[in-house]
Amino acid sequence: MNSRRIKLMIVILLLLCSTISQARIKLVALPERAATVIRLDNPTATLIEEERVLTLQKGLNKVDFSWKGVSIDADSIRLRPLDHPDKVTLLSVSYPPNEAALVWDISSDSDYAETVRISYLLSNIDRLITYKAIADKAETAVDLKSFLVLRNFSGEDFDKARVLLDYGEAFEQGIDHEETKRMLFLKAPSVPITKVWKFDAAMLPWDPEKLENRNVGIPVSYRIVNEAKSSLGEFALWGGKTRLFQDDGHGSTIFLGEDVTDLVPVGEKTELYIGDSRDIVVTQRKMADNRVNLRKNNKGDVILYDTDEIITAKIENFKDGPAVLTVIEHIPGQWDMEECTLDNKALKLGVDYKKKNANILEFEIELPARTDKGPAVKELKMHYHCRNVRP
Amino acid sequence: MRKVDDREQMTEERSSKMKRIILVLCIIVVMAGISWAKVDLVTLPSRDTVQLTIYNSADITLVRESRALTLKDGENKLQFSWANTLIDPTSLEMLPKASADKIDVADLTYPPRVRNLGLWNIKSGVSGKVPVEITYLTSGLTWRAFYMGTLTEDEKTMRLQGYVRVTNNSGEDYENAQTRLIVGKVHILDEIAELARRQYPYGRPGEIMPAAGVPVRGLGRAKREMEKLAYALEEAPGAPKEVKKEGLSEYFLYTIEGTETIATGWSKRLLSFDVDEVPVVNLYKYEEERYGPGVVRFLSFKNDKEHNLGDTPIPGGMLKVYRGIGDTGHLSYTGQSSFKYIPVNEDVELNLGPVANVVVEPKLMDYKTENYRFDHRGNISGWDEMYTFKIEVRNTRELGVKVEIQRNFNTQYWKLEKSGNFDGYEKVDLDTAKFTLNLEPRSNKEFEYVLTTYHGVRQEDWGRASQ
Repeated sequence: MNSRRIKLMIVILLLLCSTISQARIKLVALPERAATVIRLDNPTATLIEEERVLTLQKGLNKVDFSWKGVSIDADSIRLRPLDHPDKVTLLSVSYPPNEAALVWDISSDSDYAETVRISYLLSNIDRLITYKAIADKAETAVDLKSFLVLRNFSGEDFDKARVLLDYGEAFEQGIDHEETKRMLFLKAPSVPITKVWKFDAAMLPWDPEKLENRNVGIPVSYRIVNEAKSSLGEFALWGGKTRLFQDDGHGSTIFLGEDVTDLVPVGEKTELYIGDSRDIVVTQRKMADNRVNLRKNNKGDVILYDTDEIITAKIENFKDGPAVLTVIEHIPGQWDMEECTLDNKALKLGVDYKKKNANILEFEIELPARTDKGPAVKELKMHYHCRNVRP
Repeated sequence: MRKVDDREQMTEERSSKMKRIILVLCIIVVMAGISWAKVDLVTLPSRDTVQLTIYNSADITLVRESRALTLKDGENKLQFSWANTLIDPTSLEMLPKASADKIDVADLTYPPRVRNLGLWNIKSGVSGKVPVEITYLTSGLTWRAFYMGTLTEDEKTMRLQGYVRVTNNSGEDYENAQTRLIVGKVHILDEIAELARRQYPYGRPGEIMPAAGVPVRGLGRAKREMEKLAYALEEAPGAPKEVKKEGLSEYFLYTIEGTETIATGWSKRLLSFDVDEVPVVNLYKYEEERYGPGVVRFLSFKNDKEHNLGDTPIPGGMLKVYRGIGDTGHLSYTGQSSFKYIPVNEDVELNLGPVANVVVEPKLMDYKTENYRFDHRGNISGWDEMYTFKIEVRNTRELGVKVEIQRNFNTQYWKLEKSGNFDGYEKVDLDTAKFTLNLEPRSNKEFEYVLTTYHGVRQEDWGRASQ
């Protein structure tokens, strides 16, 4: 272990021979690390701040700082005297050849036991965030727990350090090299969720009948909003792996699935994909695709035309409960809708369905539960024209 | 660290195999600065109960164990090791089931340079026995569904028996475990088996995770598969246990009555349901582009009350279909089909493969072209093609059958005129039509249709012509 440690030594340069300047004789005090802070507020780098007491003598002092086997960014190392900032001055920093070390030349106007703060960026020490959410049986809310995982592979042991995240209180934690520690740091009971079923016509197969013996799963997600109403909303939720469970009503839980969430700023939502529903079946078919309104050149070749297209989507709910299915449809190019119906009732753009962008439509279709007679069935029909298509 | 390991070995009275999850409770005498040095071993609590929730869409099992720990007031350390098992260490969680407000599970540490070991730091405000629940995910336990169908001699009804087979290759013996099975497709990011093999549970910073270190179980697994087969042959289902089924979220939970002991390497077959007299339809399908020139037999029924089913979805699996012969209980093997998950109230169509005793023969009887159009240069710019097809359907079986014939036209500009003896015709999509016929035993039917397809500028006239 000793070969892989940060060492700090005050070096008395014995000027026995004025011509031999590289004789680096390491001597005297080896000050212990006092208050150490591990700052994990930047996800890309970890900043360590440690305080040590240097016994300085009046005049020039050489302080040797070495970090063999420890991944310190040498350019990031900073030294700050805390007790006598005006009287203790850092004159220069020199780096010896082929050594993970540096030497500070410190000038002091008197003899001091000076507390200094050394800070540096340390690689291979970081934190991960993971989540565990347990949904109630009715799937209206989750008990959300978040865990902080500290991983230290930096080469350095930290017996005791104050660990700081970008929010919340600092806490004391020691962590050795090659050690991983997981601790609970957030508990949010009863966070409301919205269950979302989504059929995206560009992502999923249209006709399940054509897939010999394979079910088309409709992706199911839980939507969580990072806001006060959700007993959250105090800070951005860091991205991380989330495992979702559900209360089974018998004092136990089942595992629902897992997903990874990106950073969720305050006020924003996240959708966690848990698994697929095979009890909602969408069969989408193109029932017409004809060229109309042909425009021809002098030779009689078609140079421009419109289309007359009909797409139907039969949506069946075999579940014993209702569901709201989000259907995403894609219509490329320039187009206009002649008629859009759900069970032969006209749907209005902006009221009954939304245009997400020029080519994507979003429908929210309420599906009642199945009955004894069979599944609840809805039929969405889009009759539209693509305009000014060139062959 | 070594001290703990030594003691751990001494206390492994229950098993010399090392293939066990070991839980060691240590009470720590806190000394300033030295948190490890004085570790006194207190108890080795065994599992009181264990519950397995096994998934079939992924190699994942949720294990929930309850154990009684003897805690001291103050700081306690609890060591949990899982060498030679397939546990995902990141999934470990412990919850006190009593005095929860006085017991704080402060952190879980994966100590350096030790594999397959976790250390819980517990701050307890109580002293004495405390029941705790430990949950984790493991791989190596699997289950699958399979079915046996026995048709009556007249093939009007079928006895349908559903089985589940649970296999334990987890490296851990689970004794008297409550066994639950999940039907459903869960979303998984990482293979549990891969997480179990990692050198460091959460990996290292900046690492892209293939991390192995432990050899992948290649040959070993093959051997175990063999053993599994041997056991399965020896094994016969005993008195059937009830399997309780209930829906949760998008999944179904099957709870097997009582408890099961499934030692590692073994598998167990259990009867999931047994339903007699499920009415079935003998459905035959013909679609050249999909099934080739032959007729394919399907067995069709519905997962609903009318078919004595419909309580729960039927998980996907392989069905072997037999047919009863005579009164002496002899069987004839009809065929097998794998099928997908079938929701409640959905139709089931089981593909039993091609047959020769129902024949569909489409014959092109006439072909002509007409309605030519010419452009200003005198070249052909449009025409119609007319195909007259005669479709002959022969049922050589002594049973009535239903036949579905699907025809694809490769163009959306088509018109169909039909004539002859058939029951229905339906436009499936823009270039597909389906004809449905019901045939009496040993009977033939034939019908004709004239398909007109429009080409070139004649497509412009198609709308009017097809009205």
